Amino acid sequence: MQPLISLQNVSKQYGEKTVLNNVNIDIFPGQIIGYIGPNGAGKSTTVKILTGVIQDYTGLVTINGRDIKEDILGLKQMIGYVPELADLYDLLTPNEYLHFIGALYNLPDNIIKERSQKILQSFGLIENIDQRMDSFSKGMRQKVLLTAGILHNPSIVILDEPMSGLDANAVIVVKELLQVLKQEGKTIFYCSHMMDVVEKVSDRIVLIDKGTIIANDTIEALRDGSDNSLEKIFAQMTTSENLNETAGNIAQAMQDK
Amino acid sequence: MNKFLLFLFLLPKVLWKALGADVPQLKAILKVKLMLDDRRPLTMGRAQSKKKPARFMTALSVFLSAVMGFMYSMPLMLEDKFMALWLYFSTFLLMLSFMLVSDFSTVLFDTRDKTILLPRPINERTLLLSRLLHMFIYLFRIVVPMSLGGWIVLGMTQGWKAVVWFPLPVMMLTIIALFLVNAAYLLVLRFSKPGKFKDIINYFQIVFSMLFFATVYLMPRVVESKGFQELQHAHYPWIRFTPTYWLAATWSWVQQDKVWASTQWLSILAIIGPLLLVWLTVKYLSPSFAKRIGNIDVVDAGETKAVNQVKVKQSKQSQLYIRLANLLNKNPLGKAGFSIAWLQTDRSRNFKMRVYPMFAFVPVYFFYMITLNRKRSIAETWENLSNSHTHILLLYMTSFVVMNLLAMLVHSDQYKASWIYYSSPIEKPGAVMNGAFKGIWVKYFVPMFTIVSCFVLYTWGLKSLLDIVLAFVNITLFGVAILRVAYRRLPFSAMEKMNEKGNRFFKTMFIMIFPFALGLGHRMADLSPSLWWMKILFIILSAILLWLIWDSYKNTSWDEVKKVDLSS
Repeated sequence: MQPLISLQNVSKQYGEKTVLNNVNIDIFPGQIIGYIGPNGAGKSTTVKILTGVIQDYTGLVTINGRDIKEDILGLKQMIGYVPELADLYDLLTPNEYLHFIGALYNLPDNIIKERSQKILQSFGLIENIDQRMDSFSKGMRQKVLLTAGILHNPSIVILDEPMSGLDANAVIVVKELLQVLKQEGKTIFYCSHMMDVVEKVSDRIVLIDKGTIIANDTIEALRDGSDNSLEKIFAQMTTSENLNETAGNIAQAMQDK
Repeated sequence: MNKFLLFLFLLPKVLWKALGADVPQLKAILKVKLMLDDRRPLTMGRAQSKKKPARFMTALSVFLSAVMGFMYSMPLMLEDKFMALWLYFSTFLLMLSFMLVSDFSTVLFDTRDKTILLPRPINERTLLLSRLLHMFIYLFRIVVPMSLGGWIVLGMTQGWKAVVWFPLPVMMLTIIALFLVNAAYLLVLRFSKPGKFKDIINYFQIVFSMLFFATVYLMPRVVESKGFQELQHAHYPWIRFTPTYWLAATWSWVQQDKVWASTQWLSILAIIGPLLLVWLTVKYLSPSFAKRIGNIDVVDAGETKAVNQVKVKQSKQSQLYIRLANLLNKNPLGKAGFSIAWLQTDRSRNFKMRVYPMFAFVPVYFFYMITLNRKRSIAETWENLSNSHTHILLLYMTSFVVMNLLAMLVHSDQYKASWIYYSSPIEKPGAVMNGAFKGIWVKYFVPMFTIVSCFVLYTWGLKSLLDIVLAFVNITLFGVAILRVAYRRLPFSAMEKMNEKGNRFFKTMFIMIFPFALGLGHRMADLSPSLWWMKILFIILSAILLWLIWDSYKNTSWDEVKKVDLSS
């Protein structure tokens, strides 16, 4: 079976610093990929390459077997992207913002209206559709960004910390949404620090550290017969420190003796 | 400098303590705030921070304050010394209050205070005093250069006594300015909805800044006029009730003169008044100050009641932009650009602050220019207006507004939100840019130009119709040309004050010279009525050039558009 998305020997440098070092990932249709790694590991750079925002990398990225550089617009049309803590034009109302985004994806007005109303209704944000977003909480903004990301019915959804700022119920909604999207055959690339969520929703987990992929497997395979949580596996792979000891040191620092 | 100022302002420790402040906390807060003031320009971009140290900006603002100070020290030359001082202090007070409202509100209502300071065990008095003292230090850096002009003029005309006396009324004046601004803020906070507060202050700022340059430009003209020269304070008894009159009355302490004797007792008010105002602010205005500030901007998700207050009404106006966007743009990208330009400019305070005062610039500067000829009185100039060619000047003056409009179309403090363009399937960014240009053109330029044209038609008659058409084409040409040459960017995608790489000098020169050249060419064609055919030829040529440049702008590709670094 041909992978839907394939990264082959992808590298990216900012000046002297290598952010991605020979990254190889294959993603198959209808999969949820959990993409995890410590801060500064290269997660966001990978995502920016996949969404066509960064184009000056080395190596090959293909979608449906085709180099994305050949049809960057086709790629962008296929992808729905929700960046981490993204800025939005918060002087606009969700309604206005979503119409703006929809127009950028060439969607007809009536479709934008219908879809955005339905999605916002489900997110419990329909009451706020005509209010300026500058008074919105982080979670409310995140819901608008999620709506904007899936408005054009993309076949690949890339989510960078989508749960950021969401309340408990909204987290459940998004988790369910991921499953529904998967059943519809959509491919989901999910970056997060929330290990428990990644563990539960992902078909495959890709772990990146210092620009290099250090693990790429199912959660069962990563556990290797043990009953370790993903959190523990992550810590073992990405740090040599004893984290319990570190916490103990912090607590001790406040004891003036 | 800051260390010295901090030391100086913390000297009356006992007083601050008596007012209920915690002095070590006060010192810590002030120290950090001054440090932030010093570093603020550094946050404008990494590349810039290395090249331009922040001190340069401070020096520039000090210099500008000094220049302004000299401008309004002009009335000090008046015959009637009392009137001269009253006018001087009044203008000074107005300018200071304006500066405070416009410049300092962001510091005064630093919303980070809410998350950083409010959760700490700091009492309200300390918070309020830290704000007040911070303002004082800030003021000190403005007031000293601003008062320099008056100080020198008085010293030269009145001698050393005046030099020694001068700082006292200036200090009192500063206190009054501070109280006025504080009281105004607090009143607005008390009577307006939290979401509306910043908008109200914004309009204050816009009106003040219009007043400001009207004063700077028109003051010299007014001062020279005969009616002004003969002003007598005795003719205006009401001015006795103004605090600036009391300040002027303190002059009697150093000058023995009959004129002063009658109202000398009022000078006591110049001392008591400001002290009373400080007491009033601390005692009565401070309670609930912090609480109200806390309500200014972010509203929690739970507080849906408050959220409802900023609901945007689906009014006829909002329907209008959709209809116009559909009418003037064929493709959805153009519509998207049109609506984002329309809506952002509708709501961005920064945009209004930068652009709206420019609309006042047109009539003020026009008046300034036509009265340059000092042999004629203002009334004579006005009567002969229709015989002059100044309508061309007036028409082309609108290009100054255009210049600002277009700069604000690409620059925004929300430039990071432009990531959306890069991840969307946009074939040619030019399509969005074109729509945005149309939006701003229809919304601002066309109405402004229509008003100016009506005035021109009314004063100069139908013969000016060709001039109006030519100017319209030329200024549009100028607008598209600046966008094509200097601002080839997606709407609201550039950081403000960004260091443009490359031939910035050339671009600036182009922006300055191009409208001037077009206007000059137009004026040439207006030398004789028989040259009407030249205007028509000019219109055709400009229209062709406009079409060519517009087409190139409209077709801007991803390789040609200037991108912004969103990685930071």
